[in-house]
Amino acid sequence: MDVCVGIDLGSTTTKAVILDSSQREIGRGITNSRSNYEVASSIAREQAFVQARFNLTHQALSEDSRLADLEERFLPVLERNFRIQHYLEQLQRLEAALLQAAVAPRHRDQRRNIEPVLETILAAMAGRAPALFGALAVRKSEFFRDLAAADYMQLAEEAADPKGVTFDTLSSLFDQAILPVENTGGSKALEALIDSALDTTLVALATRLSNDIELLRRAVETARAVRIDEVASVGTGYGRQRLPFPKEQIRSEILCHGLGAHTMFPDTRTVLDIGGQDTKAIQVDERGIVTSFQMNDRCAAGCGRYLGYIADEMNLGVHELGPLAQQSTFHVKINSTCTVFAGAELRERLSLGQRREDILAGLHRAIILRAMSLLARSGGISSEFTFTGGVARNPAAVDALQHLVNDNYGEQEINISPESIFTGALGAALFAHRTAREAA
Amino acid sequence: MSFEAKNGSAADRLTTAGIDVGSSAVKVAVLRSANESGTEVLALRGDRIRRRDLTRVIDETYSVALDEAGARSDDVAYVASTGEGELVSFRTGHFYGMTTHARGATFLEPEARAVLDVGALHARAMRIDERSKVLSYRMTSQCASGSGQFLENISRYLGVALEEVGELSREARRPETVSSICAVLAETDVINMVSRGISTPDILKGIHQSMAGRYIKLLRAVGCDGVVLLTGGLAADSGLAQAMREKVQEDELAMEIRTHGSSVFAGALGAALWGAFRHRVLERRASTSRTTGDTEQMEALGS
Repeated sequence: MDVCVGIDLGSTTTKAVILDSSQREIGRGITNSRSNYEVASSIAREQAFVQARFNLTHQALSEDSRLADLEERFLPVLERNFRIQHYLEQLQRLEAALLQAAVAPRHRDQRRNIEPVLETILAAMAGRAPALFGALAVRKSEFFRDLAAADYMQLAEEAADPKGVTFDTLSSLFDQAILPVENTGGSKALEALIDSALDTTLVALATRLSNDIELLRRAVETARAVRIDEVASVGTGYGRQRLPFPKEQIRSEILCHGLGAHTMFPDTRTVLDIGGQDTKAIQVDERGIVTSFQMNDRCAAGCGRYLGYIADEMNLGVHELGPLAQQSTFHVKINSTCTVFAGAELRERLSLGQRREDILAGLHRAIILRAMSLLARSGGISSEFTFTGGVARNPAAVDALQHLVNDNYGEQEINISPESIFTGALGAALFAHRTAREAA
Repeated sequence: MSFEAKNGSAADRLTTAGIDVGSSAVKVAVLRSANESGTEVLALRGDRIRRRDLTRVIDETYSVALDEAGARSDDVAYVASTGEGELVSFRTGHFYGMTTHARGATFLEPEARAVLDVGALHARAMRIDERSKVLSYRMTSQCASGSGQFLENISRYLGVALEEVGELSREARRPETVSSICAVLAETDVINMVSRGISTPDILKGIHQSMAGRYIKLLRAVGCDGVVLLTGGLAADSGLAQAMREKVQEDELAMEIRTHGSSVFAGALGAALWGAFRHRVLERRASTSRTTGDTEQMEALGS
């Protein structure tokens, strides 16, 4: 089958969307790999193709009436096994990177003690993997870095000895080791992992599904064998100058977000996109073409990274922030503008005994206030108003926005899609689809 | 330790501790002073907070420092806190950061007539006299660009330990110019540099040069000349000191940038020294007030 790929290379995450020839989305991927644009886009792309593969399998099973009722017992288990194996494989690479970082001369005195401590921590982490991806498990993030860091830091704090291998040593080793782990991939290794997850799953289910197992295996293998041909791709995003695409396959972020938002909500006239590193207020016409825009510049205050930084400070996953802030009962006004100072203000307020829910709500209001001034400068808000970007997934940010919009522009509904973080990548994929159609 | 120790009579010997609580690390100094001119450093200990519970880090660092000093907590006549020291529940008294850095600086480098304290969030330039009195000062504004936290973020993105930053920076051949950039967004600029093939030393040196420019400006604004001692966490970064010296030379300024192996502990040392000073003052007052029975005044001074 022919597909078109759109890639949005953001500052915090890189997103990929795959559309089939009828503009239906069949796969998407997201990664927080950041050190190299090429690697980040190939990881996101690889993930999107893996998901497309799962979708094809799902489709093959649901089309066959004999298999339809097996599907819900089989596919979730397959996906879970795949995720566990992927996580374990990353843990293995993390362990190797940690042991290598421990060889540095400044650890000479403690080296013999560091190794067993690391091995104990990593073994405990591997033991927790199945529970982490259990059927009802709530994970604090979708990224390996966050999942691994949470367990590692907790285990490191328990294992640390202020007179021997200190917590500082252990956490600085992690900071170094995580980089090579999250910055490799895109080598088709994930496709191989699907096969091994498939074997594990089929073996595990063999006794329960003895009659249908061959049927199932054949259906899955057929779906696995479908050739996916990428006929066009378009890249956008913060790193668009350096995207590993030829120039003619690159579109500006503003255009992609405009078109993506227009596709999700066709009557959109104003788009607010709060991404990791920039916030954009965009006005579009009835065809999704941009008529004016405003962007913030060179400062993290008011962008998603602001919240990301705060989440790091609090050892929380970034999507835990919003729900916490929604439990606020007391109005706190944050005095600092700078993100780093806001982080210090947060710690100070916490040590003064203020509730973190209230402080967090104040931080959410601070970022939305900055977005409101951008919106005003871009020409205000016209109906319909669509909110996109990673921050649109944050319910407290949405509440704060709704509140301020109603105050300033009267009652106004806000369009929000749960997939809003993929808006730019979707826009790019649509541009790719246009290119492919024109070429045909 | 290379400090001169003059032993007075056992009765005069006084053990005091200084605890400097910064926004990213806790530093502890334990001193024994025979009299006000002869002081022996018994222990210097620091630990990075790294998002742990601050009170725990304070307690732990303090107890490790006491062990190193061979002292029990009962032996310590005065526990002086500085920085965000309100969290040191067992303190005897608190001293403002500017005065402790000034005092610690003259202790480490008697010739110092200016101090540049570069911490995780703020940088502070002070002009001081030979008795550690702060004559004028200037601080950086409410933005973390160029701060210690900024450098820490950058080194994390580069996968370099903070201790290695100085040495790497000094290996630079063609430093990459960095404009003043957001401490948080610096990440992307660094990624851009890395993917343009710029080496880690050249990136770090460019950042050090940009920081050096800022700090020299700060020092000039308070009218510093003569010997400047770097204190605070970044004083341990030899790359920053080097970049500052180059800037001084380039602009032909009458400044001499110095660091000391214990510069990072200047605040803690200063606090312990002021603690000893105040303890003696209180003792003198107590011996006079004992006759008048005025202990309330003494307690008020001590806390």
